[in-house]
Amino acid sequence: MTGAVEAAGLLAALVDTLIPGDAGWPAAATVGVQSELATRLVQERGEDGLAKVLDALGGETAALLSGDEPARVAAMAAWEARDKDLFGWVRDVVYLAYYENPVVVRAINAHGHLYKLVPHVTGYKLPRFDAARDTPQHGRGAWTPTGAVRRVAVDTLCLAEEGAKP
Amino acid sequence: MKSMQPADVLIVGAGATGSLAAVVLARAGLDVVCLEQGGWVEAGDHPHYSTDWSWQRRTRWNADVNKRHHPDDYSVRTNSSQVLMWNGVGGSTNVYGAIWPRYRPSDFRKGDEHGLQPNWPIAYEDLAPYYEQADRIVGTSGLHGDPAMPSRPPHPTGPLPPTEAARALAGAFDTLGWHWWPAEAAVISEDYDGRPACNGCGICSGCPRGSMSKYSLSVWPKALAAGARLRTHARVLRVETGKDGRATGAAYVDRTTGRTEFQPARIVVIAANGVGTPRLLLASDNLANSSDQVGRNLLHHTLVSSEMWLDRRIEGHMGYVASLISREFAETDVSRGFVNGFNFNCLTSTSSAGEVAAGWITDARAPWGRGHHGWFERHFGHGIGIHAIGDDLPNPDNRVTLDPAERDADEMPVARLFYRPGENDRRMMAFMLDRLTDLATAAGAFEVRLQDYLDADGVYRTPAWHMIGTCRMGADPESSVVNKWHQTWDVPNLFIMDGSVLATGGVVNPTSTISALALRAAEYVRDNFRELSGQSRSIAA
Repeated sequence: MTGAVEAAGLLAALVDTLIPGDAGWPAAATVGVQSELATRLVQERGEDGLAKVLDALGGETAALLSGDEPARVAAMAAWEARDKDLFGWVRDVVYLAYYENPVVVRAINAHGHLYKLVPHVTGYKLPRFDAARDTPQHGRGAWTPTGAVRRVAVDTLCLAEEGAKP
Repeated sequence: MKSMQPADVLIVGAGATGSLAAVVLARAGLDVVCLEQGGWVEAGDHPHYSTDWSWQRRTRWNADVNKRHHPDDYSVRTNSSQVLMWNGVGGSTNVYGAIWPRYRPSDFRKGDEHGLQPNWPIAYEDLAPYYEQADRIVGTSGLHGDPAMPSRPPHPTGPLPPTEAARALAGAFDTLGWHWWPAEAAVISEDYDGRPACNGCGICSGCPRGSMSKYSLSVWPKALAAGARLRTHARVLRVETGKDGRATGAAYVDRTTGRTEFQPARIVVIAANGVGTPRLLLASDNLANSSDQVGRNLLHHTLVSSEMWLDRRIEGHMGYVASLISREFAETDVSRGFVNGFNFNCLTSTSSAGEVAAGWITDARAPWGRGHHGWFERHFGHGIGIHAIGDDLPNPDNRVTLDPAERDADEMPVARLFYRPGENDRRMMAFMLDRLTDLATAAGAFEVRLQDYLDADGVYRTPAWHMIGTCRMGADPESSVVNKWHQTWDVPNLFIMDGSVLATGGVVNPTSTISALALRAAEYVRDNFRELSGQSRSIAA
């Protein structure tokens, strides 16, 4: 069984390999994504959810903890190829947790986006509909009135087995 | 089993239709009791005030009843569908997106048009006044004057703010010469009926503010003020009938005390959705099923989707989730190789940066590793999502049944749901995907991804937001469950008021139509209560 200290290091290495730091972007472990991952594993996958991931990474543990980026990437790719479903679940959890972090939202804002972590509270102010500017002028569109519905020829469609007869 | 005082009308289910029926009937002075298996959903129960709302949308706030594991829910075993359902006051309006288009006149005449679906026993014109009534009660927004639809009066509030996604798509539709129109929504653009206008937060998975009409906030207060009695955590186990064949009331378990009670009533209305209603009828000794149509002809709509990314900034995380509707392909044109039509439900984008990275409506997601942030910078704020939604043909084998052995915690048989699209549906979806590609090309997208909802084994795994048709309305007792007044053919004082009565699915989200139908049916019960209280046979359609 992976020890607690080693497990913490392994999770940090895992999330940093998935989302490494970049210009203007903190690495995932820097903002604590590994903690969210551990909690969500237990919430959604049960008490042994974390243990299953640690076990799944067993063969890659040394490489992930090595600090050698190419070795980490190779280890992660090997896990992805071996266990696509669990890897995909972990990857998506890491992505969501990362972008739910207030520090990461600052990074999004720094790239020129007005993006709020909890937008429901104050919303986004958008220009109101202006009838003169925004009403469609194309004039396209048609509909068939009730009394104008006519039989269409369906024989050529070969749909004899289709539908529930009235 | 303890028996309560008899009610004039018992309503099973406090969702959209149950709430509207309660308003109409209670306002007429009738003694209305509504039994709801779930509870009230408070503002704080929604994920909207939490930083992890994206995560919650995939877990405890997931629209799929089988993914969120809430104690108010019941499991639905299914071969393919992701079942949108919320069991609580307000029903699925707690978690829906509130897109609010109407059916078209031809949707009611498919029997005449090609005969692969039945005609409805009513016409668009019968329902139009009730669409307007529903708009006023529920609170909607939109722009009247669409040349692709019959004339209608203005919405209670004007259109929601046009987004950059709407502007970009409008240009693409214009390039193609296709119809488009601002989306209609059960979302208010101005303060209305004591509720605040939409603030454009974009988290349109229900709305605790009530800007998006959550019927527990927009409709139930009216019903309660009129005297309707709502009993929550009351799970109905079966509808009982007397020797005369009339419904006598319903047995239910009080989930707070664990006791089984009986609520007698002169008239019983089932409003438990397209899965819950047939489940309850089948579990009530196959009630109202002399036609063998209860549970059959399940419709989900044909649905495929796309995401496109443009060089220009869209900032699609802002604003109401729907932007435009295109009715260009809404009517049948057999030269396309199939009958029936479809619409484009144009969205903005996801309101969640995490969902941009982790995947939204297609399998597009950021790569892991060094390329992650570069991908995110290129895609975030540049994406638009589109659903193409069409009218699927009914198939009696697409159906809700009861599991022969499995029971839930209350000893109710577990519902089983089987759905598979037919040849016409598959042809339509292939055509839709091609048109979604056309649209992305016309918009100048630098990337487009399509979603056909087929899994690795080729099984169509529809999001199944709509569960309709399973107790359909008709003019013939041999091929339908209810008549044009929603009265079951077999039990004259038993009415069904929910999406299960829809005879065809139309090319739109159905909540506006389901709501209008409920108002119409409830008025019928109200206006004929005395006769219905003693009637021994249902009237001919």
